[in-house]
Amino acid sequence: MWETLAQAVINGLLIGGIYALVSIGVTLIFGVVKIVNFAQGEFVMIGMYISFFLSSQFGVDPIVSLVVSMPVLFVAGVLIQHFLIRRVLGPNDMPQIFLTFALSLLLLNLALMLFTANYRTVHTSYSDEAFHLGGLYIPVAKLIAFVVAMGLSGALWIFLHTTDLGKAMRAASQNRDVAMLMGINPNRVFCVALGVALALAGAAGSLLMPFYSAYPFVGQVFTLMAFVAVVLGGLGNVMGALVASLMMGVAESLGIQFVGADSGLIVVFAMLLLTLAFRPTGLGGGKAR
Amino acid sequence: MTKDRNESVTNLATGQNQPFSKKQSRRRFLVKTGGILAASAFGAVPLRGWAAEPVNIGALYPTTGSMAQIGVGCVAAAKLAVEMVNEAGGIKSLGGAKLNLIVSDLQSDTTVTRTETDRLITGNKLSAIHGCFASALTLIASEVCERAKVPIITGSSSDQLNKNRTYTFTPFARASQFAKAQLQMAKLVGDKPKVAVIFENTAFGTSTSNGLKELAPGEGVEIVMFEPYSAGFTDASPLINKVKASGANALFSVSYLNDLILIVRTVKQVGLNVAINGGSGGFVIPDFYKNVGNLAEGLQGIAHWNHDMSNDAQKVNAEYKKRTGEFLFEYAGGLVAQTFMLADALERAGSADPQKVREALSALDVSTGYAAMAPGGKVKFGPDGKNVFGHPVGVQWQNGDLASVFPDEDKRAPLMKT
Repeated sequence: MWETLAQAVINGLLIGGIYALVSIGVTLIFGVVKIVNFAQGEFVMIGMYISFFLSSQFGVDPIVSLVVSMPVLFVAGVLIQHFLIRRVLGPNDMPQIFLTFALSLLLLNLALMLFTANYRTVHTSYSDEAFHLGGLYIPVAKLIAFVVAMGLSGALWIFLHTTDLGKAMRAASQNRDVAMLMGINPNRVFCVALGVALALAGAAGSLLMPFYSAYPFVGQVFTLMAFVAVVLGGLGNVMGALVASLMMGVAESLGIQFVGADSGLIVVFAMLLLTLAFRPTGLGGGKAR
Repeated sequence: MTKDRNESVTNLATGQNQPFSKKQSRRRFLVKTGGILAASAFGAVPLRGWAAEPVNIGALYPTTGSMAQIGVGCVAAAKLAVEMVNEAGGIKSLGGAKLNLIVSDLQSDTTVTRTETDRLITGNKLSAIHGCFASALTLIASEVCERAKVPIITGSSSDQLNKNRTYTFTPFARASQFAKAQLQMAKLVGDKPKVAVIFENTAFGTSTSNGLKELAPGEGVEIVMFEPYSAGFTDASPLINKVKASGANALFSVSYLNDLILIVRTVKQVGLNVAINGGSGGFVIPDFYKNVGNLAEGLQGIAHWNHDMSNDAQKVNAEYKKRTGEFLFEYAGGLVAQTFMLADALERAGSADPQKVREALSALDVSTGYAAMAPGGKVKFGPDGKNVFGHPVGVQWQNGDLASVFPDEDKRAPLMKT
């Protein structure tokens, strides 16, 4: 019994690490730029296709291709902020919602047109391997993905707390007007926030590739999970999103194990409802960190 | 008659300023009337070398959208089949008439299927149609064909295609037969099969798995786990953890390609020793092997057609492989046989009229040649349009190829125990 339980927890933590990369991006954009990015999942999809093509054309290991997918998406984020989002930042939320939603639809249909709806997988030497400990097993590809995801989250944490630019981002997220009065250039900060968030999505895509298939709709699964994690963790709260993502992974896994295999999302959304009812500001508290 | 002819000739002469296409059609008219004259003069014996009117065959397949991969393969096979018929001299009773394939893309969409089928039938003079791979699409196309009274021949397996239909013909195994064969295959692996059935919680998954559950007691197969899962999940580990806990020694997965890839990989990672039966559809196409590689070795599935069944099938497979680089998969192979069944019907009907083709199809009875490429090697339609000899063939991935392993009469390679 404890073995099944432990295995379920391990499975949940491992997939939670991927959810974390996506939800940290969403929460970072929301905290700093104050917009909801509905297209975050589509950037995961783009990251996956970058890794897929680098691997199938040039034989680059999908995890290594992170060094390409992250910078590419960072630049994409900066450009999207500078040329698109900057124009709709204002008192009205509606244009912002439409913009990111339209972006999501555009990317999705572009992918359908360019790559077709076929499933694409990369097969690496470690794709099907696992470490066995007693009766438990840890898949190698997922362990690598988890470790790199946690490393990237940690690096982001250090960046936000030790560098001037990171501090400026946190300042803009706490109070945009005061931050501007203190001489912080908001567009520059927003560009970096978008870039970092999209780079994380790209990293998630590359890390997923050794054990998951790329197809145009793949991002939608992750967008949904990311939104739940962001609300659970407290809007704009990076650490909260990380913890909430791991919790959701575990809750989903336990739900499948002990309730039923089609109940994974039910458990996650029950958690969300309870949190909203009893701690409306999220588990991590309301303040952006 | 001569007067008609003269008039036509004068028309031709006076119509010189008219557009080229108009003249073309007049010339064709002359050829036709000339043909009729000749036919009556020589007692309706077609002349050798006479360019007979081609016979139009409609092909409805999803060549874009989510089912495109299989649809494109189907069209390649349909073209190959038509070429084979034409090279062998076409339809002799129609003066060596060539088959002319008219392909229409269904875009993997049910609404498009309805309009495209309509458009294909009203826009062309068709003798018959074949399509459409996915049962959901075929059901709609066959409704349209029934109303338009054009015969449709299909490899789709839904049992519903045999209900209240007179123009629909299904030469291959039905869905209900698939479940039964899958259960019988489980008994090949061990004397006391304990089967875990996992299925996606969709109409396809639920209906297929319920069929398995109903038939299991009659076949002496114990189902130890019966579990729906959310299609398109991110992680198969919790589900496979559950299969492990159930103590099953065989796993039936009713899934589409992506979920199945995750499931197969996870089973390997867990180190679980179960015989996996992946069913049909996405499991029996070359792409499955490309995606999972060596892990596919020894996995079992079920198909309505396989390329190693007969010498004829192997011959067609070799030609298809030369053109596309991949082996001829279930649905595409089946439709090569279907094209020859249509050719056989046209030959006997001696007419391109869809009504007469339907009648000839309903009287089809073949046991040799390309038209008989079906498990068991015989095709004869019952009143419900079902092949009375139709049954599925159990297959297994062996060395990157699909080998027929069940039942004994269709077996071409021994079952590899995993």
